[in-house]
Amino acid sequence: MNFWRKLISGCEALSLDCCTASRAQSERLDHPLPRAKRVGLWLHLAICKWCRRYGKQIRFLREAAHEHPEELAKAAPQNLSVEARDRIKRRLSENN
Amino acid sequence: MVQEFLSGFRRGSDAFAEFKNIIMQTESPSSPADVKPGTGPFDPKRWVDEHGDFLFKYALLRLRDPTRAEDAVQETFLAALKGGKSFDGRRAEQSWLVGILKNKIYDHFRKARRETSFTDLEFYDDEEGNRFTAGGVSKGGWIHELGPQKWSRQVESLDSELFWKTYHDCSAKLPKKVASVFNLREVDGMETKDICALLDISAGNLWVMLHRARMALRGCLEINWFSKQN
Repeated sequence: MNFWRKLISGCEALSLDCCTASRAQSERLDHPLPRAKRVGLWLHLAICKWCRRYGKQIRFLREAAHEHPEELAKAAPQNLSVEARDRIKRRLSENN
Repeated sequence: MVQEFLSGFRRGSDAFAEFKNIIMQTESPSSPADVKPGTGPFDPKRWVDEHGDFLFKYALLRLRDPTRAEDAVQETFLAALKGGKSFDGRRAEQSWLVGILKNKIYDHFRKARRETSFTDLEFYDDEEGNRFTAGGVSKGGWIHELGPQKWSRQVESLDSELFWKTYHDCSAKLPKKVASVFNLREVDGMETKDICALLDISAGNLWVMLHRARMALRGCLEINWFSKQN
Protein backbone atom coordinates (compact mmCIF):
# COMPACT_ATOMS: atom_id res chain seq x y z
CA MET A 1 0.00 0.00 0.00
CA ASN A 2 2.82 2.28 0.99
CA PHE A 3 4.70 1.35 -2.15
CA TRP A 4 1.84 2.41 -4.44
CA ARG A 5 1.38 5.66 -2.60
CA LYS A 6 5.05 6.40 -2.96
CA LEU A 7 4.95 5.51 -6.64
CA ILE A 8 2.01 7.80 -7.33
CA SER A 9 3.50 10.72 -5.42
CA GLY A 10 6.78 10.11 -7.21
CA CYS A 11 5.00 10.33 -10.55
CA GLU A 12 3.18 13.47 -9.46
CA ALA A 13 6.47 15.07 -8.45
CA LEU A 14 8.11 14.27 -11.76
CA SER A 15 5.14 15.10 -13.95
CA LEU A 16 5.06 18.50 -15.59
CA ASP A 17 2.15 20.91 -15.64
CA CYS A 18 0.62 21.99 -18.96
CA CYS A 19 2.50 25.24 -19.10
CA THR A 20 5.86 23.52 -18.62
CA ALA A 21 4.83 20.64 -20.84
CA SER A 22 3.99 22.91 -23.75
CA ARG A 23 7.40 24.52 -23.43
CA ALA A 24 9.02 21.07 -23.28
CA GLN A 25 7.15 19.90 -26.39
CA SER A 26 8.43 22.92 -28.25
CA GLU A 27 11.99 22.42 -27.08
CA ARG A 28 11.81 18.76 -28.02
CA LEU A 29 11.56 19.91 -31.64
CA ASP A 30 14.92 21.63 -31.32
CA HIS A 31 17.05 19.53 -28.98
CA PRO A 32 16.90 16.31 -26.95
CA LEU A 33 15.39 16.87 -23.51
CA PRO A 34 17.23 15.93 -20.32
CA ARG A 35 16.00 12.60 -18.97
CA ALA A 36 14.01 13.89 -16.00
CA LYS A 37 12.09 16.26 -18.22
CA ARG A 38 11.53 13.54 -20.81
CA VAL A 39 9.99 11.26 -18.19
CA GLY A 40 7.94 14.08 -16.71
CA LEU A 41 6.63 14.98 -20.14
CA TRP A 42 5.76 11.38 -20.93
CA LEU A 43 3.87 11.05 -17.67
CA HIS A 44 1.97 14.24 -18.30
CA LEU A 45 1.06 13.40 -21.89
CA ALA A 46 -0.28 10.05 -20.72
CA ILE A 47 -3.07 11.83 -18.88
CA CYS A 48 -3.51 15.19 -20.62
CA LYS A 49 -5.33 15.21 -23.94
CA TRP A 50 -4.98 19.01 -24.33
CA CYS A 51 -1.22 18.77 -24.29
CA ARG A 52 -1.26 15.79 -26.62
CA ARG A 53 -3.25 17.92 -29.03
CA TYR A 54 -0.87 20.82 -28.58
CA GLY A 55 2.12 18.68 -29.51
CA LYS A 56 0.41 17.31 -32.61
CA GLN A 57 -0.62 20.77 -33.72
CA ILE A 58 2.78 22.41 -33.44
CA ARG A 59 4.32 19.48 -35.27
CA PHE A 60 1.71 19.82 -38.00
CA LEU A 61 2.46 23.54 -38.39
CA ARG A 62 6.19 22.86 -38.57
CA GLU A 63 5.78 20.21 -41.26
CA ALA A 64 3.36 22.38 -43.18
CA ALA A 65 5.80 25.29 -43.29
CA HIS A 66 8.75 23.05 -44.09
CA GLU A 67 7.06 21.16 -46.90
CA HIS A 68 5.38 24.18 -48.50
CA PRO A 69 7.84 27.10 -48.46
CA GLU A 70 6.63 28.28 -51.88
CA GLU A 71 2.97 28.51 -50.91
CA LEU A 72 3.93 30.42 -47.79
CA ALA A 73 6.11 32.85 -49.71
CA LYS A 74 3.50 33.36 -52.42
CA ALA A 75 0.89 34.22 -49.77
CA ALA A 76 2.67 37.48 -48.98
CA PRO A 77 0.55 40.27 -50.45
CA GLN A 78 3.41 42.63 -51.26
CA ASN A 79 5.07 42.67 -54.64
CA LEU A 80 8.33 44.18 -55.79
CA SER A 81 7.47 47.85 -56.33
CA VAL A 82 7.60 49.26 -59.84
CA GLU A 83 10.28 51.67 -58.74
CA ALA A 84 12.44 48.89 -57.28
CA ARG A 85 11.88 46.76 -60.34
CA ASP A 86 13.13 49.53 -62.66
CA ARG A 87 16.05 50.32 -60.41
CA ILE A 88 17.18 46.70 -60.37
CA LYS A 89 16.85 46.38 -64.15
CA ARG A 90 18.99 49.48 -64.57
CA ARG A 91 21.70 48.10 -62.28
CA LEU A 92 21.68 44.84 -64.18
CA SER A 93 22.07 46.65 -67.52
CA GLU A 94 25.01 48.64 -66.14
CA ASN A 95 26.71 45.46 -65.05
CA ASN A 96 25.98 43.31 -68.07
CA MET B 1 -18.24 -0.63 -74.27
CA VAL B 2 -17.60 1.94 -77.01
CA GLN B 3 -16.77 4.48 -74.27
CA GLU B 4 -14.20 2.15 -72.79
CA PHE B 5 -12.63 1.64 -76.17
CA LEU B 6 -12.51 5.38 -76.82
CA SER B 7 -10.97 6.21 -73.42
CA GLY B 8 -8.47 3.42 -73.90
CA PHE B 9 -7.67 4.83 -77.31
CA ARG B 10 -7.26 8.30 -75.83
CA ARG B 11 -4.98 6.99 -73.13
CA GLY B 12 -2.96 5.18 -75.72
CA SER B 13 -2.59 8.23 -77.91
CA ASP B 14 -1.61 10.37 -74.88
CA ALA B 15 1.05 7.86 -74.03
CA PHE B 16 2.25 7.88 -77.62
CA ALA B 17 2.46 11.69 -77.56
CA GLU B 18 4.54 11.53 -74.39
CA PHE B 19 6.81 8.94 -75.96
CA LYS B 20 7.23 11.12 -79.01
CA ASN B 21 8.13 14.08 -76.79
CA ILE B 22 10.79 12.09 -75.01
CA ILE B 23 12.28 10.90 -78.27
CA MET B 24 12.21 14.37 -79.79
CA GLN B 25 13.54 15.83 -76.51
CA THR B 26 10.93 18.55 -76.34
CA GLU B 27 9.18 19.30 -73.09
CA SER B 28 5.54 18.33 -72.68
CA PRO B 29 3.49 21.54 -72.69
CA SER B 30 1.24 20.41 -69.86
CA SER B 31 2.85 22.47 -67.10
CA PRO B 32 3.41 26.16 -67.89
CA ALA B 33 5.96 26.41 -65.13
CA ASP B 34 8.28 24.16 -67.09
CA VAL B 35 8.11 26.02 -70.40
CA LYS B 36 11.61 26.86 -71.58
CA PRO B 37 12.72 30.38 -70.69
CA GLY B 38 12.97 32.95 -73.46
CA THR B 39 15.46 31.98 -76.08
CA GLY B 40 17.93 34.30 -77.71
CA PRO B 41 20.66 36.32 -76.02
CA PHE B 42 20.99 36.15 -72.24
CA ASP B 43 18.46 38.60 -70.78
CA PRO B 44 18.72 39.35 -67.05
CA LYS B 45 15.78 41.77 -67.23
CA ARG B 46 13.55 38.80 -67.92
CA TRP B 47 14.62 37.42 -64.54
CA VAL B 48 13.27 40.51 -62.81
CA ASP B 49 9.92 40.15 -64.52
CA GLU B 50 9.63 36.41 -64.03
CA HIS B 51 11.13 35.97 -60.58
CA GLY B 52 11.28 39.41 -58.97
CA ASP B 53 7.99 39.20 -57.09
CA PHE B 54 8.56 35.71 -55.75
CA LEU B 55 12.10 36.48 -54.58
CA PHE B 56 10.90 39.68 -52.95
CA LYS B 57 8.13 37.88 -51.06
CA TYR B 58 10.60 35.20 -49.98
CA ALA B 59 13.07 37.77 -48.70
CA LEU B 60 10.38 39.88 -47.02
CA LEU B 61 9.15 36.88 -45.05
CA ARG B 62 12.58 36.48 -43.51
CA LEU B 63 13.91 40.01 -43.30
CA ARG B 64 10.61 41.76 -42.44
CA ASP B 65 11.81 44.99 -44.00
CA PRO B 66 10.88 45.96 -47.58
CA THR B 67 14.06 47.97 -48.16
CA ARG B 68 16.29 45.17 -46.97
CA ALA B 69 14.28 42.69 -49.03
CA GLU B 70 14.72 44.83 -52.16
CA ASP B 71 18.47 45.02 -51.52
CA ALA B 72 18.69 41.27 -51.10
CA VAL B 73 16.81 40.71 -54.36
CA GLN B 74 19.06 43.15 -56.21
CA GLU B 75 22.19 41.52 -54.84
CA THR B 76 20.83 38.14 -55.84
CA PHE B 77 20.34 39.18 -59.44
CA LEU B 78 23.76 40.80 -59.60
CA ALA B 79 25.41 37.67 -58.26
CA ALA B 80 23.39 35.52 -60.61
CA LEU B 81 24.55 37.66 -63.52
CA LYS B 82 28.14 36.73 -62.73
CA GLY B 83 27.13 33.09 -62.58
CA GLY B 84 25.66 33.28 -66.07
CA LYS B 85 23.98 29.89 -66.07
CA SER B 86 21.16 28.90 -68.34
CA PHE B 87 18.44 26.51 -67.30
CA ASP B 88 16.16 23.95 -68.69
CA GLY B 89 12.94 25.23 -67.25
CA ARG B 90 11.64 27.99 -65.05
CA ARG B 91 11.46 25.95 -61.86
CA ALA B 92 15.15 25.04 -61.95
CA GLU B 93 16.02 28.66 -62.60
CA GLN B 94 13.90 29.81 -59.65
CA SER B 95 15.46 27.21 -57.32
CA TRP B 96 18.91 28.39 -58.25
CA LEU B 97 18.02 32.05 -57.66
CA VAL B 98 16.43 31.18 -54.31
CA GLY B 99 19.66 29.44 -53.34
CA ILE B 100 21.62 32.61 -54.00
CA LEU B 101 18.97 34.71 -52.23
CA LYS B 102 19.19 32.56 -49.10
CA ASN B 103 22.89 33.33 -48.78
CA LYS B 104 22.28 37.04 -49.28
CA ILE B 105 19.65 36.89 -46.54
CA TYR B 106 22.09 35.19 -44.19
CA ASP B 107 24.67 37.88 -45.01
CA HIS B 108 22.11 40.50 -44.00
CA PHE B 109 21.53 38.75 -40.67
CA ARG B 110 25.26 38.62 -40.00
CA LYS B 111 25.54 42.31 -40.71
CA ALA B 112 22.46 43.17 -38.64
CA ARG B 113 23.66 41.36 -35.53
CA ARG B 114 26.64 43.68 -35.34
CA GLU B 115 24.33 46.68 -35.44
CA THR B 116 21.70 45.75 -32.87
CA SER B 117 21.06 43.13 -30.27
CA PHE B 118 18.88 40.44 -31.67
CA THR B 119 16.68 39.29 -28.82
CA ASP B 120 13.19 40.74 -28.75
CA LEU B 121 12.95 41.51 -25.08
CA GLU B 122 9.47 43.02 -25.46
CA PHE B 123 8.13 39.70 -26.63
CA TYR B 124 9.08 38.17 -23.31
CA ASP B 125 5.95 39.80 -22.00
CA ASP B 126 4.10 36.55 -22.42
CA GLU B 127 0.59 37.11 -23.80
CA GLU B 128 0.16 33.48 -24.63
CA GLY B 129 0.99 32.56 -21.06
CA ASN B 130 -2.46 33.82 -20.16
CA ARG B 131 -3.84 30.56 -21.45
CA PHE B 132 -2.74 28.75 -18.29
CA THR B 133 -4.21 28.94 -14.80
CA ALA B 134 -2.18 31.06 -12.45
CA GLY B 135 -3.01 29.28 -9.23
CA GLY B 136 -5.32 26.90 -7.43
CA VAL B 137 -5.41 23.14 -7.59
CA SER B 138 -4.62 22.81 -11.27
CA LYS B 139 -1.95 25.46 -11.37
CA GLY B 140 -0.30 25.68 -14.74
CA GLY B 141 -3.07 23.77 -16.47
CA TRP B 142 -4.83 24.96 -19.63
CA ILE B 143 -7.75 27.28 -18.96
CA HIS B 144 -10.43 25.05 -20.48
CA GLU B 145 -11.98 27.38 -23.03
CA LEU B 146 -8.54 28.47 -24.18
CA GLY B 147 -7.01 25.02 -24.46
CA PRO B 148 -6.15 23.49 -27.84
CA GLN B 149 -9.30 22.59 -29.74
CA LYS B 150 -9.71 19.69 -32.16
CA TRP B 151 -8.60 20.62 -35.65
CA SER B 152 -10.50 19.14 -38.56
CA ARG B 153 -9.50 18.95 -42.23
CA GLN B 154 -5.84 19.54 -41.46
CA VAL B 155 -4.51 17.87 -44.58
CA GLU B 156 -7.11 19.46 -46.85
CA SER B 157 -6.12 22.88 -45.53
CA LEU B 158 -2.68 22.49 -47.05
CA ASP B 159 -4.26 22.74 -50.50
CA SER B 160 -6.07 25.97 -49.76
CA GLU B 161 -4.64 29.32 -50.84
CA LEU B 162 -6.69 31.01 -48.14
CA PHE B 163 -5.12 28.77 -45.51
CA TRP B 164 -1.65 29.87 -46.60
CA LYS B 165 -2.73 33.49 -46.58
CA THR B 166 -3.96 32.99 -43.00
CA TYR B 167 -0.71 31.25 -42.06
CA HIS B 168 1.25 34.11 -43.57
CA ASP B 169 -0.84 36.77 -41.83
CA CYS B 170 -0.49 34.97 -38.50
CA SER B 171 3.28 34.80 -38.80
CA ALA B 172 3.33 38.45 -39.87
CA LYS B 173 1.86 39.27 -36.45
CA LEU B 174 4.94 37.90 -34.72
CA PRO B 175 7.56 40.44 -33.68
CA LYS B 176 10.17 40.87 -36.41
CA LYS B 177 13.03 39.00 -34.85
CA VAL B 178 10.92 36.16 -33.56
CA ALA B 179 9.43 35.77 -37.03
CA SER B 180 12.88 35.62 -38.61
CA VAL B 181 13.96 32.96 -36.16
CA PHE B 182 10.80 30.99 -36.77
CA ASN B 183 11.35 31.09 -40.52
CA LEU B 184 14.97 30.02 -40.30
CA ARG B 185 14.12 27.08 -38.07
CA GLU B 186 10.76 25.85 -39.27
CA VAL B 187 10.72 26.81 -42.94
CA ASP B 188 14.42 26.59 -43.84
CA GLY B 189 15.15 23.81 -41.33
CA MET B 190 18.36 25.45 -40.15
CA GLU B 191 20.03 23.69 -37.19
CA THR B 192 19.79 25.37 -33.78
CA LYS B 193 23.52 25.87 -33.44
CA ASP B 194 23.75 27.46 -36.89
CA ILE B 195 20.97 29.91 -36.12
CA CYS B 196 22.71 30.83 -32.86
CA ALA B 197 25.95 31.43 -34.73
CA LEU B 198 24.26 33.42 -37.49
CA LEU B 199 22.31 35.71 -35.17
CA ASP B 200 24.70 35.72 -32.22
CA ILE B 201 22.12 34.60 -29.69
CA SER B 202 22.27 31.94 -27.02
CA ALA B 203 20.53 28.61 -27.40
CA GLY B 204 18.33 29.42 -24.39
CA ASN B 205 17.12 32.64 -26.03
CA LEU B 206 16.48 30.82 -29.26
CA TRP B 207 14.36 28.15 -27.61
CA VAL B 208 12.24 30.70 -25.77
CA MET B 209 11.66 32.65 -28.98
CA LEU B 210 10.67 29.51 -30.86
CA HIS B 211 8.34 28.41 -28.07
CA ARG B 212 6.61 31.78 -28.04
CA ALA B 213 6.39 31.80 -31.84
CA ARG B 214 4.90 28.32 -32.03
CA MET B 215 2.41 29.03 -29.31
CA ALA B 216 1.28 32.33 -30.84
CA LEU B 217 1.08 30.89 -34.34
CA ARG B 218 -0.91 27.87 -33.20
CA GLY B 219 -3.34 30.09 -31.32
CA CYS B 220 -3.76 32.48 -34.20
CA LEU B 221 -4.38 29.74 -36.75
CA GLU B 222 -6.87 28.08 -34.43
CA ILE B 223 -8.91 31.25 -34.09
CA ASN B 224 -8.65 32.38 -37.69
CA TRP B 225 -8.77 29.12 -39.58
CA PHE B 226 -9.40 25.84 -37.82
CA SER B 227 -12.27 26.99 -35.66
CA LYS B 228 -14.05 27.94 -38.90
CA GLN B 229 -13.53 24.60 -40.62
CA ASN B 230 -16.15 21.94 -40.63
